[in-house]
Amino acid sequence: MNLRRIRVLAFKEWREILRDRLFFSLAFIVPSVLMLVFGYGIILDVEKLPFAVLDQDRSEMSREYLHKFMGSRYFDYQGEVQSERELSPLLADSKIRLAIIIPENFQKNLTEGHPAPVQSLIDGTFPFRAQTAKGYVIAINAATNAELMAKWIARKQGMTLERATALVSPVKLELRYLYNQELKSRWSVAAALVMFILMVSPPFLTALGVVREKENGSIYNIYTSTVTRGEFLIGKLLPYIGISIINIFILWFMATTLFGAPFKGDPLFFLLASIVYVVCTTGIGLLVSLLVQTQVAAMIMTAIITVVPSVLYSGLLIPVSSLEAAAQIEAHLFPAMYYTNIVLGSFIKGVGAEILWRNVLMLMIYAAVLWLLSFSLFRKRPKT
Amino acid sequence: MSVEPFVKIALWLRRLRVLTAKELLQLLRDAALMFVILYAFTADIYIAGSGVSLQLNQAGIAVIDSDHSFASRELIYRFRPPYFRLDGEVSDTATGMRLLDEGKVMALLDIPPNFQQQLMEGRPTAVQLQVDTSNAVLGTLAAGYAGQIVGKYGFEAALDRAGLSADSLATLPHIEDRHRVWYNPNQNDAWFFTIAELMTVITVLAIVLPAAATVREKERGTIEQLIVSPLSPIQILLPKVLSMMLVILLGTAVSVFLILDLLFEVPFKGSLPLFFAVTLLYVFSTAGIGLVAATMSRNLAQVGMLTIMILAPLILLSGVWTPPEAMPPGLREAMYLSPLYYYIEMGYGILLKGAGLDILWDSLLGLALLGSLIFSFGVWRFKRQFG
Repeated sequence: MNLRRIRVLAFKEWREILRDRLFFSLAFIVPSVLMLVFGYGIILDVEKLPFAVLDQDRSEMSREYLHKFMGSRYFDYQGEVQSERELSPLLADSKIRLAIIIPENFQKNLTEGHPAPVQSLIDGTFPFRAQTAKGYVIAINAATNAELMAKWIARKQGMTLERATALVSPVKLELRYLYNQELKSRWSVAAALVMFILMVSPPFLTALGVVREKENGSIYNIYTSTVTRGEFLIGKLLPYIGISIINIFILWFMATTLFGAPFKGDPLFFLLASIVYVVCTTGIGLLVSLLVQTQVAAMIMTAIITVVPSVLYSGLLIPVSSLEAAAQIEAHLFPAMYYTNIVLGSFIKGVGAEILWRNVLMLMIYAAVLWLLSFSLFRKRPKT
Repeated sequence: MSVEPFVKIALWLRRLRVLTAKELLQLLRDAALMFVILYAFTADIYIAGSGVSLQLNQAGIAVIDSDHSFASRELIYRFRPPYFRLDGEVSDTATGMRLLDEGKVMALLDIPPNFQQQLMEGRPTAVQLQVDTSNAVLGTLAAGYAGQIVGKYGFEAALDRAGLSADSLATLPHIEDRHRVWYNPNQNDAWFFTIAELMTVITVLAIVLPAAATVREKERGTIEQLIVSPLSPIQILLPKVLSMMLVILLGTAVSVFLILDLLFEVPFKGSLPLFFAVTLLYVFSTAGIGLVAATMSRNLAQVGMLTIMILAPLILLSGVWTPPEAMPPGLREAMYLSPLYYYIEMGYGILLKGAGLDILWDSLLGLALLGSLIFSFGVWRFKRQFG
């Protein structure tokens, strides 16, 4: 290992990057644009669900009941239809996501002390949103039922409405939201995006950089030179790691200022852990670039092997402990999960190395394995 | 009238055929690329569809039970799968908080002493739930479900005290909740994710492949040979798009029949030929974006970065992650600029909802208009560069 050769190689690579103005600026612009676009655009709160109603009862009570939906910020009233047949094309065309049907005799049944059915049709195309919408409908029905029941008991047993209300819901649930008291999903998304972008962009830069030499044939200069494999890999990748480290700062800055995410943890610990993570993801790019011959293949391969696992198997959308067994194994095999813990812990939970050290250790092991594997796969004498 | 026009057309078509064959051959000879494409259409979509769900699934919950009564155990017992999973009892708040900090559990339920006694005496009581909301969406869901569970428990306890069993509900005035979820009755996430991933894969390939094929000619200088040959810009570009279309359509077919149908049993409610026709139109539209990107860059590295810049907003504005109604005002109108928006609308419409052209005609029209606009722009830029 000759430090001077590494330095010279890194310098050559840096200059090459710098001279390709478009590539150089995109190396910083792309991560920022991704942060901006996804940070503002991914809205996971389910609100303003467009809905239509079919009121076959047309009574005071049915209107009162429907007003609960119209007055809620979770729903957005689109109008009334005259028959059930009209609802199906509206749902199929995504004009509405929910339809509420109140059959005849709604008021009659309730005032006479009988149950009254209410049907709701929910668009299940997006299962997560359907599930949430279902929860809202159930909650509105439960609140209505508590009122109905309290009124009925008050009338039957001749007590005040207040007493009857206390009687039907004797247990109160006191909720305390930890870490993110205002339930701002934008905070969670911004923090998670730091993980996502640092997973996708370093391997992309790296793979393009290395495969370019292979495709252009300029790698033969390396093959015939006195530079060793290790010197080449380290020198070649140092500039890319440097770019990614600058990107850590940019993304951190955007998350805290633009999206108002809090940073409650230890900045130094977070920086060190992030550098380990970037070295790790750069290693993924290195491995890919040794497996393919063309830049197209390198681009598509890195995109595919990084995007899906970092979105679905990282704990970004669902906690890893809730995944099915096979998916849990996959999550543990991929570095994104460990860094998700570090990001959420540092930004939102405010915990530090004493709780997160295991995650950093796993990233280090992961990085070491990737780099050693790449080192052994890289041959200066290519197979003919 | 002579036969000359026909000869010209025949020659035009022949050149197109030969060049398309050349592009296909070039594509097929890149073994690693072919493998990656195959992986994208099969394994990648399989991974996206298996084992992942966006719903609250067995969120771990720890309990501090200071009452240890029949009533408290009954309440705790109700925090069970599918939404919750009881992860054991802790003796004090500090231990519980540590579990929350480490992310071992998502919520901590605290039941006060005398819980049962107060319930029996008809006095109001409260239980406390601390929820980890570092993931705001799941935190909200967990709080919502916990509210349902505690509300139902309290309601039944009240009925019990009033000497009414749950069976006697039939004689009480209340609303019977009859909800039906259409198109995906069991909220099977795999149906959603596999289709979304398939469309994303198609988008990525439809942009990257023609863009790369064009830029590669620029980077290697072979474009000069094409320019001096008796080929028009259309004749140079169209074969690239046609060959990629063929490969992508084949991949889509493999994915639809092998992964979506066979493995995930996605019900195809609508017409599959219509879906493939729409896919063809979509690939053509997005290939235009690839061509525009290709005219803007000099080498593959640049085009790669540009593609990401284009892909991210395209996917975001498609409505997969945030449907139109949840978008902030300005972005909602911007969705009409993303070809993927129309494709998603039609793709889910045809495959899951069984919608036909009578409902989807406006999306089809939008896609066709946008597609021809982008494609013409790409060709125009290419002509200006090399014409």
